[in-house]
Amino acid sequence: MAFSVLIVDDSPVMRGFIRRVMTLSGFEAGECWEASNGEEALAQLREHRVDVILTDINMPKMNGEELLRQLETDAQLRSVPALVISTDATKDRILRMISLGAEGYITKPFTPEALREELERILGEPHA
Amino acid sequence: MAVKPLVVGISDCKVSREIDSMLVTYALGSCIAVAMYDPAVKIGGLLHYMLPESSLDAAKAQQNPFMFADTGIARLIEALTAGGAMPRRMTVRLAGGAQVLDSEGVFQIGKRNYLAARRILWKAGILIAAEAVGGEVSRTTRLELATGRMWVREGGDVERELMEHRGLAKKVMERV
Amino acid sequence: MPEGLEQSAIAERDVDLKVIDRVSNEVLETMFFTEAIATGCDHSWFSTAVTARIAFAGSHAGEFLLSVSREAARAIASGFLGLAEEETTENDCGQVILELSNILCGAVLSNRWPESRLSLATPELGGCGCANEGALHRCFTLPVGALALTICAADAAVSRG
Repeated sequence: MAFSVLIVDDSPVMRGFIRRVMTLSGFEAGECWEASNGEEALAQLREHRVDVILTDINMPKMNGEELLRQLETDAQLRSVPALVISTDATKDRILRMISLGAEGYITKPFTPEALREELERILGEPHA
Repeated sequence: MAVKPLVVGISDCKVSREIDSMLVTYALGSCIAVAMYDPAVKIGGLLHYMLPESSLDAAKAQQNPFMFADTGIARLIEALTAGGAMPRRMTVRLAGGAQVLDSEGVFQIGKRNYLAARRILWKAGILIAAEAVGGEVSRTTRLELATGRMWVREGGDVERELMEHRGLAKKVMERV
Repeated sequence: MPEGLEQSAIAERDVDLKVIDRVSNEVLETMFFTEAIATGCDHSWFSTAVTARIAFAGSHAGEFLLSVSREAARAIASGFLGLAEEETTENDCGQVILELSNILCGAVLSNRWPESRLSLATPELGGCGCANEGALHRCFTLPVGALALTICAADAAVSRG
């Protein structure tokens, strides 16, 4: 089964890093969409069906927290798992994002292997 | 079936598809062992390198590419793919990289060796399945060619199987 | 400053520097595949360094600056991107150093003040990497090149004059 992913981060090199991990993790290449903030992410989600959203928190225009809040209000989008990838390691923030429906939370810095493990937990192990 | 040990020395590398064999290397202090195995074709390789970069001594790297992470890992991957392995199918594990007494004490070679392996494998597009690295113990490791299973002995401890990591990313969720 | 307060200030600064050292190493080793050793300052490379700055606000406010020597920036960028150094462009270096500064800033601040609420501005390239009086400043040597980190705070809890 091919997975479609939406990567939301204002850093193009971080989006590239995450994209590379997805590819190397052996997930069958579906579509990989990208957005540099929450607003762009919502626009992408209106156009494309995705299986998982990987989102940063701290972004201009609309941050990751607001993005999750918006997703919660949408009957279809609320069921798409969201994995938060952020530098913010404070307990307060982690709890808030979980309460907004985040399926997982990875703090930066992370190894490629740690991200792969989270993706496998959410999507199931890829075929060899 | 009697298992035949194929010993990999220091600054050495062996690749084999003899399923009655075991690749084994000893005395991993600050050195790193890189084990790669493709289960589809049952071919495996074990590299034991000492230093992170061949630019440290280009002449030595010419004589023996297995002394260095960059030249050693490249040769290991080359030999395995020539034998029919595919990098995306391979299980890759690391052992070693311990801190050993260093009179200079500036850059710990064990850690540099470990970071070199991670950097080179990332560049080669290979993720690491499991590792037994760091600390201050010497290690011995073996790779079973019939199955791709790998074991590590640390110091005087009992040997344990090096399984794939799980539970790394759960740490954050559990902490809160 | 009364002796008791001075001792407390020294102890606080010591904690700050320990956090910076530990977190910087964790960040650089985990995602950028290099180690860094805290060292005495030598700013001779500052004039050609790649520098990024991030303003932060909330329970603590100030500015975080990261300066990376040119050769270190190229090594770090190529490691992160999984490219050979020859394949790594100036733009790549700038983008990776921006992301490194973002991760370092977030990691240092949230480790130093785990109960705080902080907002980080978007990182920007450029600016002076020199240490202002009262700022927290740390220099590191890398296997290739050097790196310096400075936290200039409006908050007296960070900045010790």
